[in-house]
Amino acid sequence: MQVKTFSSDSLKGFIQAWEENISDGFKPNATVIFASVDLDIAGISSFLKNKEVKIFGSSSCGEFLYDKAGKSITEGGLVCSMLSLEEGTFDLKMFSGKGIDSFNLGKTAARWAVQTFKKPAILVVASGLSTDGEQLVRGIQDVAGNDITMYGGLAGDDAHFNETFVFSDSAPDPQGAILMALDTSVYEINGIATSGWVSIGADKIVTRAEGNIVYTIDNQPALDVYKMYLNVRDEDLPEIGIEYPLLVRKQDESFVLRAVLNVDRKKKALIFAGTVPQGAVVTFSSSPGFEIIESTRKEVREFYNDNPKTDLLILFSCMARHNALGPTISEEIDEVWEKWSKPLIGFFTYGEIGNNYKASCDFYNQTFTLVSIKQK
Amino acid sequence: MPKNLQSIIDDLRNLGTPDEFLSGRDRILEELTRVNSDYEKLNFKYERSSKEKNILSSLLTRTSADLKKVSDNLKIRAEELSTILTTIPAYVYFKDVNLNYILVNQSYAELTGLPVDRITGRSLVDIFSNYKSTAYLETEHNVIASGKEDYNIEEEIEFNGRARWVSTNLAPIRNPAGKIIGLIGISWDITERKHYESELKRAKELAEAGTMAKNEFIASISHEFRTPMNGILGLSEILKNTPLDEGQADLLKGIVSSAENLLVLVNDLLDFSAIEAGKMELDFHPFILDRVLEDVFQMMNLKAKEKSLDFSVFISEDVPKHLIGDSQRLRQIIINLAGNAVKFTDKGRIEIHIHLLKSTVDNALLRFEVIDTGIGIPPEAKDSLFKVFSRVKQNQSKLIVGSGLGLSICKKLTDLLSGEIGVESVQGKGSTFWFNLPFDLTGIKILPGEKTENTEVKLYTGMKVLVAEDNLINQKIVSFQLKRLGFEVDLVDNGQLALEKFYSCNYNIVILDIQMPVMDGYEVAKAIRVYEAGTGNHVPVIALTANAMKGDRELYLAAGMDGYVSKPFTSETLLSAIIQAETLAARKGV
Repeated sequence: MQVKTFSSDSLKGFIQAWEENISDGFKPNATVIFASVDLDIAGISSFLKNKEVKIFGSSSCGEFLYDKAGKSITEGGLVCSMLSLEEGTFDLKMFSGKGIDSFNLGKTAARWAVQTFKKPAILVVASGLSTDGEQLVRGIQDVAGNDITMYGGLAGDDAHFNETFVFSDSAPDPQGAILMALDTSVYEINGIATSGWVSIGADKIVTRAEGNIVYTIDNQPALDVYKMYLNVRDEDLPEIGIEYPLLVRKQDESFVLRAVLNVDRKKKALIFAGTVPQGAVVTFSSSPGFEIIESTRKEVREFYNDNPKTDLLILFSCMARHNALGPTISEEIDEVWEKWSKPLIGFFTYGEIGNNYKASCDFYNQTFTLVSIKQK
Repeated sequence: MPKNLQSIIDDLRNLGTPDEFLSGRDRILEELTRVNSDYEKLNFKYERSSKEKNILSSLLTRTSADLKKVSDNLKIRAEELSTILTTIPAYVYFKDVNLNYILVNQSYAELTGLPVDRITGRSLVDIFSNYKSTAYLETEHNVIASGKEDYNIEEEIEFNGRARWVSTNLAPIRNPAGKIIGLIGISWDITERKHYESELKRAKELAEAGTMAKNEFIASISHEFRTPMNGILGLSEILKNTPLDEGQADLLKGIVSSAENLLVLVNDLLDFSAIEAGKMELDFHPFILDRVLEDVFQMMNLKAKEKSLDFSVFISEDVPKHLIGDSQRLRQIIINLAGNAVKFTDKGRIEIHIHLLKSTVDNALLRFEVIDTGIGIPPEAKDSLFKVFSRVKQNQSKLIVGSGLGLSICKKLTDLLSGEIGVESVQGKGSTFWFNLPFDLTGIKILPGEKTENTEVKLYTGMKVLVAEDNLINQKIVSFQLKRLGFEVDLVDNGQLALEKFYSCNYNIVILDIQMPVMDGYEVAKAIRVYEAGTGNHVPVIALTANAMKGDRELYLAAGMDGYVSKPFTSETLLSAIIQAETLAARKGV
């Protein structure tokens, strides 16, 4: 497995860098690209169209690349990882979510993955604003089993909350998902997912909800409750919603965070990045203090101790972390480079997917989800 | 000011010549860039903290308000709970897992005679020093250990020297995580209820005793009926055999008919009380179905003819001839239904049909239908038809004669015989009463001497019979009937004399009344068997009894008798009993 990486801030720059990287005879057959919606994503697709390169592309909410050339955390740019993988050890396909729900989108995609490899591991990106990440994960698990190894993120759009894309060699799809299936007999794929967000305030009950839309909390309009408790102005929503997710308690006393991705002002409803079941016990949650940087670094170090070798690292970090930690976000990403000194590519997401160590895969918000890919 | 910014200022101060300045510029720029980055981070942290502070303080304020609301609600709930505990007419207590009191209500405290604060923290035996039983504490332990409720635990305890009954419900208490942290007990004083219960029990026993007495009364009164009935029927039979003119014969016929009707009523009453008392016993034995139906035909054809009705019996060819079952009860059911058919039919015909519904090697299910062209049954009466004392009212002017027990007995008998019974009817056109009965077919053996066709034949010429009977009329009847069979009859009027006679003469058969002065029939029979012991002899002994209750048969057999005849009896039943007793005795003798 060979890896080359570069970043750019324009289509022109992208083409130039690509050409430079193949001038020495390097023949990539796959590429991972995270790009701002402000760039000409369709142009990237059409440039790569006839290059026999499979594209794993997603729009972002800020992107980052750590490699020998330097550390870059940008907004409005793109990062690219050119991969030369052994033929027959991977495959990639884009699935349209048009006309089907996220659960069935997941099922369709997983059927392809399990037909491709006996024991696949999955990398996934999906359009952030149109996908219920939790249902996507459940759909994939429904076909591929609960123990499937899977990492990924939901596409962003630089916090415009307007339209997010995934892209391959066809036109960017605002409703689709891309799966990269990797043969686990060839690749070792491990990762962590850590958040640091904490519960605050009294337990509340979701009294009316459908899928990822919550209408009432404690029998009051969900939007009113949210604004009243957090003392936020109407115009701050939905942007602030991703930073102050609801903490949804599970029966086994664990919890997941569900970020507000959108609001329905007419129905006074909150639209979340994942399912929030009716009857769920929830609390508000507070973005962590800056001290969580240290706890993330600690988890990264522990993960490194268990997996000191890697070929490529991909990080799906929630855009809310970026908002909450600001310029200090680099401190937790730096730790990854400091430990492995191997290419790290990633973007700030609208939702993350991953297995925390060997636990079964889940859909998250607010997490730092890091995956290591290594050829055996 | 950041420390490194001070060092940059110091560096800048120390820059002297332009050359020195140029050489230090890159290092200073690098330092400034880092300082700027630190500044940006600090600034972000500051701004972020302000924003967070705003949101957190809002959350805190709202959460405090929530908590206050929750706390206020809790106070209200606590007040409500306390009111319930105070006013509920029950003893309520809470205990921890070690079964020490945590909380009790006022009623409970009053019961113990101690203030609440002297109960909490203590155990049951601390509070009730007289309470010695460990069973209750074990029950409480079980509730804690199993996590299951235990309801209606009743016990009698002593409070302030008075015995009281209490009933208690126990339930475990769990913390929000589901762990059991104690139990709640709620007890009620049920002394009054217990008092009523025992009164009810006594009343029930009295009622049952009353029913028993009623049954015994019926049994004994019917016994008393039977003796004179025997007289009337027996003497009528003797009278019938004397020269009578036409008028006298008619009168006699009337007497016999009335007596027979009365006998049916008495038999119904007896059967009914036997069934009610659960004393109706069935006698399963091999029999020939045709014989039963011939009896029925002879009896019912006569009655049908009196009303100018056609009477016929049809048996499908596949119906087995030999069956095992209670032929007596079968006959009773058919006669009852056929009797009703005759009673309620003024013109037309009565038919009895018998079909095989299904059969295996071992058993057969037969369907009996009694079809008439009579007045029929109104639909609304069908449901209650087989109930006790149900009589169909056709109209105001025509009350139907009968005990109202007949169909109810048929129903109970078919139930006892594992069969079913029913009716189809069109009012004004006729009725079909049907019943289905199962019969056994395994290992059928027909007893010899099934039926004597001609009772006039003197079968027993030259044979001696000893009859012990204290009632003069019955003496006359039985000796008349026996003489007709050819017997030489010796009559005595008590058991003692019978035994003396038996010792001195050889008899072919002995007939003993059961209830006799000096020595009753049982004792005589037992003495006869003792006398015969070791000789290989076994003279047939027949009981003559008005005790028609079932279950008596076992008593006769146990006393060493070989058969019995219920009073009143006809020549045929007497002969039949003699034949059966002889057969049985022949097996017992050597």
